[in-house]
Amino acid sequence: MKMIKTTNLARNVALTLALSAVLAAAPAFADETSCSPFTPLIKGQEDLVYVWTLGVKGIGDGSDKLVTVDVNPKSKTYGKVIHKLSLGGRGEVHHVGLSDDRRFLWGGALDSNKIFVFDIGTNPAKPKLTRTITDFVEKTGFVGPHSFIAMPGRMLITPLSNKKDHGGETGVVVYNNKGEYVSHEQMPKTNGGDGYGYDVGINPQKNVFLTSSFTGWNNYMMDLGKMVKDPEAMKRFGNTSVMWDMKTMKPLKVFQTPGAPLEVRWSWNKGDNWAVTTTALTSKIWVYKQDAKGEWQARDVATIGDPAKIPLPVDISITADAKGMWINTFMDGTARYWDMSDPMAPKEVFTKKIGSQVNMVSQSYDGKRVYFTSSLLGNWDKKAKDDEQYLKLYNWDGKDLKLAFEIDFYKEKLGRAHHMKFQARDLSTLQPLDVAQNLPALLARKQ
Amino acid sequence: MKQLTSALLVLCALTLPACEQAFAPAAEALLIAPPLGLPALPIPPDSPLTRARIDLGRTLFMDRRLSHNNTLSCAMCHVPEQGFTSHELGTAIGLEGQSIRRNSPTIYNVAYVEQLFHDGREFSLENQAWGPLLAGNEMANPSIGYVIEKIKVLPEYAGRFEKAFNGRGPDMQTVGQALASYQRTLVSANSRFDRWHFGKEQGALTAEEKAGFELFSGKAGCSSCHLVGDKQALFSDNRFHNSGIGYARSMGPAKKHRVQLAPGVFVDVEDKALNAFEQPLPDVGRYEVTLDPADSWAYRTPILRNVALTSPYMHDGSLATLDDVIEFYDGGGIDNPQKDPLLRPLGLTTQEKRALLAFLGSLTGDNVAQQVAEARATQPGDRPPAHDPASTFRRSY
Ligand code: HEC
Ligand code: HEC
Repeated sequence: MKMIKTTNLARNVALTLALSAVLAAAPAFADETSCSPFTPLIKGQEDLVYVWTLGVKGIGDGSDKLVTVDVNPKSKTYGKVIHKLSLGGRGEVHHVGLSDDRRFLWGGALDSNKIFVFDIGTNPAKPKLTRTITDFVEKTGFVGPHSFIAMPGRMLITPLSNKKDHGGETGVVVYNNKGEYVSHEQMPKTNGGDGYGYDVGINPQKNVFLTSSFTGWNNYMMDLGKMVKDPEAMKRFGNTSVMWDMKTMKPLKVFQTPGAPLEVRWSWNKGDNWAVTTTALTSKIWVYKQDAKGEWQARDVATIGDPAKIPLPVDISITADAKGMWINTFMDGTARYWDMSDPMAPKEVFTKKIGSQVNMVSQSYDGKRVYFTSSLLGNWDKKAKDDEQYLKLYNWDGKDLKLAFEIDFYKEKLGRAHHMKFQARDLSTLQPLDVAQNLPALLARKQ
Repeated sequence: MKQLTSALLVLCALTLPACEQAFAPAAEALLIAPPLGLPALPIPPDSPLTRARIDLGRTLFMDRRLSHNNTLSCAMCHVPEQGFTSHELGTAIGLEGQSIRRNSPTIYNVAYVEQLFHDGREFSLENQAWGPLLAGNEMANPSIGYVIEKIKVLPEYAGRFEKAFNGRGPDMQTVGQALASYQRTLVSANSRFDRWHFGKEQGALTAEEKAGFELFSGKAGCSSCHLVGDKQALFSDNRFHNSGIGYARSMGPAKKHRVQLAPGVFVDVEDKALNAFEQPLPDVGRYEVTLDPADSWAYRTPILRNVALTSPYMHDGSLATLDDVIEFYDGGGIDNPQKDPLLRPLGLTTQEKRALLAFLGSLTGDNVAQQVAEARATQPGDRPPAHDPASTFRRSY
């Protein structure tokens, strides 16, 4: 196996070289979608899927895990769990993020506030825990490290809550690749801001990042049925999203996007200047686009399902050409494919029930393979027989989803299957995304 | 902090007989001179207040590491800025988000509560503290000893128990006493109502608020349970009554829930639409303590001081605002076999309801900002112990 050197210098050189190589390259980025644009991509067949898995009391060892699944159809262990790493305890593990060189995977826990850093470069099929970051709350006052988006040499982290009252006021945080705290900012509470936070998507070409908003520990840790019946709790959801200046880390504009806007994805089509999100409670698609004067505007462009039934749109996955997007609705366990060729007027063109509940969706770079997992949050997942926990791979031919394999995470004594990231066994096959033209300026920014 | 000291805490002269017997010779006992409107502070003779114990108790109260996984302090559910209760939750949630069936009550003036918890199952703050520390759905520590060993290995507590307890380290009694000592100091009165009613300051209340008090102690009959004395007022009889709220929750028909999706956006959700999730936890109130069917769905009358700061209301947090509470009483409660006969439809006019509301708003004590600031000035630290206390434990005798 060929290895990429990890020194900063080597990495910078690699990226600078990549820059010239990709100037004429095709538009990039699929899901591979939720990766940072600074993270090199798997443009062919992914070999491995890491599933960030919540421990469940009474299932196996009851502990949170990183589960590695072989997904290369040419492999003897295709569709099988080939590695699992128990972390000890249940901390409400939630999302993972790849480092800028894709040699490390950062995984956060929304309750214990621990951040686990795994070496997925040395032997991608056998991730190794190399560091557990435990000073997140101490350094920031925030609780619930959620999204991990790589920046050069750094990790941008968006938490969900705070240690003062476990409500939704929170911020954005930067750590460096050594796992050291660098800085943090409060989510804005002026100009219409409500202080809440959730996901982050960065667009170095525009020197911006966009954050969305969800709810605090009090709600994300609560049984979903109990919460829906508690009018006080239901008042505590984020209703805003914020465009930030990426270099200065200062808010540029607050948008009113009521009802918990969640996942943020950018279109990486050349010349495109839009991002998209969906609101969990109000079931809307919002598109953020620059107007003729270059100012960012947010528009509610479509409704997902019947909002009166609270379908709860959760994860989304945009295609490499940004012409299509998967939207999962948790309550009815349904995957919905939306035609995004006109982002200001998207249309739902396909739906399929994946299970009793469905949360995450990740597609391969070519969009032909679509992976689904079941768990939303430990206490939001359904109970008893409706609590199906799985990883399912479907093949997508543009018309239908056909099941390729599924793994029952309860039968395998694993737990609740949540966030996924792909990995290649040979990291020399990784290719960068076409945003490299901004890198020199970025790398020159003040430390 | 200084202000609080001078306003409320008076150094107890060591010649006072009561003090002499209660303290080890070197201890500095503090007496709290009750603010206008409150009776003398009840303090158990074997748990005297001292500055060191109060400060230590406050640190413990604010320390998230007192829960098994270092996430929940007492103050995460009894939030200082939220009236030492939690505005954001009808009923609380504990470790790993587990459901708790009742609302977090305020800690203000808790020293005056005779039987603690909504159902009165505990009798001293010293003992009460171990309830949340050990309850599997609250702070969920594995054992008493585990809590004590953990406190011992946290550097922030080194020497503090010994100083506060005459050489005694953390143990079941001293942890309880420290927490109790701090909570006892959360007295709050000298409200505008007190200055008017007890202090005879005519201008302290508006005409509407005064009219509200007339109703409270007259036509509306509130003061038959929320007692107001000649020299002071607790606004509680420290007894248990059935208003029907608990009954309806347990026995009532399935209902629709009006659910807010965003500001101004609501949908109605049927109970059965939520069948895939946890079912409501049973709660029969005071009956669970006495096992007397007559006590079914009875809950303790809360002290109404600072009530404007302690939403949502009732044992299950089911009433969001004081307006809702007044509407509830105006309707005479919810009928059921054990309903308290004192509750009956009141026929209040809109104006009378407004007056009652205004009156309840005059019960806020004058030291709230200080109490909050003092709690927040306490920074117990966030760093979990380097090693789990259970893995480092060695017998020392
Ligand atoms: C997970 C939330 C939570 C935590 C943590 C918590 N409490 Fe409570 N507390 C509650 C709830 C809920 C009740 C009412 C329970 C009942 O009546 O059954 C309560 C009741 C009380 C009461 C009784 C008050 C009254 O008026 O009867 C006191 C005193 C108290 N708590 C102190 C503490 C202390 C001290 C700690 C920390 C050691 C603590 N609490 C931790 C939620 C919490
Ligand atoms: C029969 C005795 C009784 C009478 C009369 C009564 N209350 Fe209460 N009150 C209670 C009890 C008991 C509770 C707690 C109920 C529960 O927890 O479910 C309570 C709760 C409250 C609360 C909520 C406090 C909190 O912290 O949750 C308010 C406010 C209140 N009463 C105001 C009033 C007013 C105003 C009146 C007159 C209109 C009144 N009460 C009459 C017994 C009474």
